[in-house]
Amino acid sequence: MALRDISYRHWQGRHEGIWHRRRVIVEAGLQACLQNRWMRYLVSFCWLTTLVQVSVLFAVGQFLVADSIIVQWAAHLNPQLQTFVRGFTAWLDQHPEISVGTVQNLLFYRYATLLMPTALLTVALAIPHLVSRDLSSNAIVIYASKAVTRLDYAIGKAGVALGLLSLTWLGPVATAWFVGNLLAPDWSFFWHSRHALGHSLALGIVLMLFLTVLGLGVSAVSPREKATVGLFVALWLVGNAFVPLGALSQPWLKHLSFQYNLSQAALAIFQPDRDLATARDQVPVLGDMLRRSRRRPDSPWLERSPQKPWPALIAFAAVATTIFQRRTRPE
Amino acid sequence: MLPRVPDVVIETQGLLKRFGRFVALDRLDLRAERGAIGLLGPNGAGKSTLLKCLLQLMPATAGSARLLGRDIGREGREIRKRIGYTPEQDCHIPGMVGCEYVTYCARLCGLPFQTARQRAHEMLDFVGMGQERYRRVDTYSTGMKQRLKLAQAIVHDPELVFLDEPTNGLDPRGQAQMLELVRGLWQDHGITVVLSSHLLHDVERICDHIILLARGRVLVQDSLANLKARRRGAAEVVVAHRQADVQQAFNARGWRGELLTNGHIRVEHGAANLTPVLACLRDLGVPPLEVIPSPNALEEMFVQALETTRGPA
Repeated sequence: MALRDISYRHWQGRHEGIWHRRRVIVEAGLQACLQNRWMRYLVSFCWLTTLVQVSVLFAVGQFLVADSIIVQWAAHLNPQLQTFVRGFTAWLDQHPEISVGTVQNLLFYRYATLLMPTALLTVALAIPHLVSRDLSSNAIVIYASKAVTRLDYAIGKAGVALGLLSLTWLGPVATAWFVGNLLAPDWSFFWHSRHALGHSLALGIVLMLFLTVLGLGVSAVSPREKATVGLFVALWLVGNAFVPLGALSQPWLKHLSFQYNLSQAALAIFQPDRDLATARDQVPVLGDMLRRSRRRPDSPWLERSPQKPWPALIAFAAVATTIFQRRTRPE
Repeated sequence: MLPRVPDVVIETQGLLKRFGRFVALDRLDLRAERGAIGLLGPNGAGKSTLLKCLLQLMPATAGSARLLGRDIGREGREIRKRIGYTPEQDCHIPGMVGCEYVTYCARLCGLPFQTARQRAHEMLDFVGMGQERYRRVDTYSTGMKQRLKLAQAIVHDPELVFLDEPTNGLDPRGQAQMLELVRGLWQDHGITVVLSSHLLHDVERICDHIILLARGRVLVQDSLANLKARRRGAAEVVVAHRQADVQQAFNARGWRGELLTNGHIRVEHGAANLTPVLACLRDLGVPPLEVIPSPNALEEMFVQALETTRGPA
């Protein structure tokens, strides 16, 4: 008698739906990407920055508590400061829309833009696993012969990129907001900082969708992994080189950098200049400090461009989509 | 209960595929019923193109097709849930081990994870893969890759399987094992098999219905039994000497005798067997070294297809 039955058996179960099949592609892609140790380091780094952001939010929150350790520590350093700090704290307490809303909006603008290069690095590391390897190994034929369409394949692969960007950008930002406000001295912090979260999510949607489409397009350019990663890095760095050039000559040159366009999108969504103006007008001490800081020359990255970033982002995404569509045809 | 598989599994009407000016499929009208179907033809006849058009791996230039009674243009995803395909070239997902890969393919067809994993192991057992299933697919030999391709094509229990040159790159033993597996799919498990091959022997061995393609056209479409029965009453006679006498004797009996360049005499005797030819040789007193019966219609057609492909466009 055979130890095991090796004959063919028919299956009479029920097929899972199309979203299950799309999820399968996402899971397999995420698994493959996270097998890369550099990707794991990057994810860990991003979550470490969350700790830093939470610490900053905690410290800022403590300024609003009259007898908090931070206030006592400041008073201990210089007893003359005690009266000022107490007065300032009382003022902040009466203007939560500035002390919480404006401050967190600025902090999250800074945090979101600081995490932007890590999001770009995430896409660079994920590019081989998106389409390149499927092209080089002809796996694209296997996908095409299964019960998934090209759209399902695209959704699955986009899910991989979105999943990774959630781990390295959206997750840390959203967690920092939640934990930072959880540790705040008052529950009302959640309410007063809602704009910071809304802006972070809005930028997250723009950034993640754009980088996903761009990543898919670049990954589909060639079956050679090095070529696609190299192309993405070249687009990134060469594009950034146009930003100072654009500041000196033609401003539109700056929009050849997709990172610049994303930075402009962040400026447009968070509107930190509006927050700074509010702070300048409402808090006299801050107003003097901010006026002095404005005299320093602005970086072209932080200056609002008269042209909106959206057409450039849409153009990048359109080219990437066309490449993806043409290159993922099995024949 | 298993859904009833329609009797007509493949139906095409005026299927046309052009690559620039080259016509790969020339308004193909096909109708194939369940069974083991051999798609035969020399290289470049349009076999792989036909399979790819049917599976929508490439769009047809014109015409329509139905698989398992459904229109491929409208119900592609539903159709592919019920069919399997082993491509001619290597196809795998880099970095995956064999059993993971087959499980993944099953899940892409909609099988739940537990079932997919269980069936993946069953199919890998079925195709005769042992512990190699735990190795990365990238490290597999050609034979293992062919087995793996078959496993991924049948893991979701399809009703129809397209096999594109499944014996390519296999040694004779491997070829025999692969053909045995494919034969069993139809004969033992009722899965309709479409075997695309340029090897007459492979197709003859396992198929009961033949579609012969040449230059994108169907040369012949019939059951293997019918094609084999169609002998034209011809033979090749090999004699050591007196070839001219033998030829004359054949002609004297009203048969058409022809002396070939290799010294053999080809005779069209028109009889159902070789008895009249042997009687003629006995009367003449010439002992034959060999008498080769005429090839059957399939062999003749295949040779014709080869010649058609080599000829001018």
